[in-house]
Amino acid sequence: MHKIESRNVDFFYGETQALHDISLSMKENTVTALIGPSGCGKSTYLRLLNRMNDLIDNTRMEGSILIDQKDIYLKNTNVDDLRKNVGMVFQKPNPFPKTIYENVAYGLRVNGIEDKKIIEERVVTSIEQVALWDEVKDKLKKSAFELSGGQQQRLCIARALAIQPSVLLMDEPTSALDPISTSKIEELIHELKNQYTIVIVTHNMQQAARVSDNTAFFYMGKLIEYDKTKTIFTKPAIKQTEDYITGRFG
Amino acid sequence: MASHFEIELEKLKNVIIKIGNLAESQLSEAVKALLSEPMAEKKEVKKTEEKIDKLDVKIDEICQTIFALQQPVASDLRFIMASMQISNEIERIGDLAMSVIKNSKNIKDKHDLIIKFNVSELAKQVEQITVKMNQCFLDRSETTIGEIFVLNNSIKKGTDDTIHNLMNEMKSNSKAVVSGMNLVMVLKHLERISEHCTNIAEHVHFMIKAKIIKHEKFDDRQ
Amino acid sequence: MNSKNNKLARKKRISQNIAFGIFTAISYAIVALLFVILAFIVIKGISVISWEFITAMPSEGMTEGGIFPAIVGTLCLVFASMVFAFPVGVLAAIYMNEYVKDGWIKKIIKQMTNNLAGVPSIVFGLFGMSLFVNQLGFGDSILAGGLTLGLLVLPVVIRTTEESLKAVDATFRQASLGLGASKWQTTSKVVLPIAFPNIITGLILSIGRVSGETAPILFTVAAYFLPKLPSSIFDQAMALPYHLYVIATSGTNIEKSRAMAYGTALILILIVLISNLLANALRKYYGKKVKMN
Repeated sequence: MHKIESRNVDFFYGETQALHDISLSMKENTVTALIGPSGCGKSTYLRLLNRMNDLIDNTRMEGSILIDQKDIYLKNTNVDDLRKNVGMVFQKPNPFPKTIYENVAYGLRVNGIEDKKIIEERVVTSIEQVALWDEVKDKLKKSAFELSGGQQQRLCIARALAIQPSVLLMDEPTSALDPISTSKIEELIHELKNQYTIVIVTHNMQQAARVSDNTAFFYMGKLIEYDKTKTIFTKPAIKQTEDYITGRFG
Repeated sequence: MASHFEIELEKLKNVIIKIGNLAESQLSEAVKALLSEPMAEKKEVKKTEEKIDKLDVKIDEICQTIFALQQPVASDLRFIMASMQISNEIERIGDLAMSVIKNSKNIKDKHDLIIKFNVSELAKQVEQITVKMNQCFLDRSETTIGEIFVLNNSIKKGTDDTIHNLMNEMKSNSKAVVSGMNLVMVLKHLERISEHCTNIAEHVHFMIKAKIIKHEKFDDRQ
Repeated sequence: MNSKNNKLARKKRISQNIAFGIFTAISYAIVALLFVILAFIVIKGISVISWEFITAMPSEGMTEGGIFPAIVGTLCLVFASMVFAFPVGVLAAIYMNEYVKDGWIKKIIKQMTNNLAGVPSIVFGLFGMSLFVNQLGFGDSILAGGLTLGLLVLPVVIRTTEESLKAVDATFRQASLGLGASKWQTTSKVVLPIAFPNIITGLILSIGRVSGETAPILFTVAAYFLPKLPSSIFDQAMALPYHLYVIATSGTNIEKSRAMAYGTALILILIVLISNLLANALRKYYGKKVKMN
């Protein structure tokens, strides 16, 4: 049973085709890394999973993507509900200009949850989940901008977790962080895997190797190879993949 | 909270301990087969041998995966490099123990020869060095490593002397040649086992001190 | 080879020095010019500045007394124009930046606003007179003048607001939408608070612009001589720039009121200066609160 399933997905920015016939399925509670050189379509594919590409004008998608066996690109899909179920974390930490507490509560409030008890409970749980509680428990009412970059990024993950998604999309979540913060986030991904299905885009092949169960290698908008991370990094089936992961690309 | 990577390393360590213990028990089976008349249960021994081979492959796989996926550095890197070598050495020890058992079968009037040339003392020393080999991987202590080097020297000397005496015996008594040859081979196997244990000690030393000491003279090691 | 390199390096250095020299000279000249103008007005006008000048009604055919009604009139006009232009401009900018898809409609609206910004202010005055004063029957009033000034600065407000919204990183919007927030929730709770300091700055800068305009109020509100304060938005009022124009060109005694003209100019400049300083202070204050990293 697959949590996420894409079938023959094509994607166009205006006239330019960015993705060619991508078929890719991910099991529940796994981490899937999308790797490939810049402009290979991995981020574009990631953003299809919560229909973030809808925000870009003049784009077109063909094929189908199923999450929990439901086609998310049907006309009657409620995009807000979809996005509640599919959380997203971005390249640069982007907390809102609010307090630490309100950042995590934001998702709950915009979704109409008003019960203070529920909000507080979820905020605390989410911050604990990202191992940030001890660091921020005394300054919940302070601006989120007072935190360090790594803390901000974990706060952003907590913000995404607060509305209890089942899928977590991460778009190069550590590319703006120092090595220590990076390894904290990576460790966090291992922890979160037990409860969420995670898809992570990364420029850092070693990171893909460290955190993921499966790896998909994209090149020029095509899915070149998709297999267990261990297989990809020890005996890739396709020459292009081998060239890329060994740094002999071009 | 142990990190994901640390858990992985712990796993590897446990497999090494397991394969080490198997080799140790395999050797004591071999010594039993050598010293006492009735043959040890052969099936058991065969099974252990298979287990050791399987674990050896498994360790290689684990190490390959860690190298490919975790990019180990510094002490972690040395630990994994050492692990691969140690597993190789242990696998050889297992093979040699099997050979000891095979050759032991062909020694007639074993009892007399063994008592005459005090083989049991030597065998005990080899058992000891195998135990110490496992211990040094666990406690990573330099003292244990030193003890292994000393023990290895004494085993070497012991086997050389014994083989020399055996040769003389065979020269004077041609009937004893077949059994004697087999015993010589057993002694050579035991010596090899001791040598492998010493190599493992060197790998452990590399692991903890980041210094490669193989091919150095024993005196320099001190 | 070496001498060739040296020659090249020397050539480069000389041309760089010349360019830098010209740039430096020009910028110092501009600053100097500004100081000269300021000093000129201060020197000529400072003598008439007094508490009475600021708070008294003009008298004796504007050769005596103060400019109090003109100050009040200008403040009223600024306020009225902002009440109109700020909400309309900000909402228009939000619509343009957050809602309209890229395409020909957006292009046309953009072109129109740009054109509007290029229309001479006297044309606004005429338009205001025909629409607000005559057509809608507001008469010469603060309402008509305020609306006309509002129209004048509308493109400025729209453009500065749009720029401020554009400066907000797209991932803030995506993060908010990604949490299931609606577009309006995203705009009002995330985007606007981040863009706010810059929007406020734009607003205050347009206040400076409004307070100095003469042409648009010429036909819509400004009174030649009205020694009383306006009592409602339908009243005529005096205004600083027009008052300045009057006493400098067509007063009862131009020679006699010359000093008062400089005093009026000084007050006008001070109002603009203060509003600019306020803009900076506000931006710094809010900028700290929603610091972008």
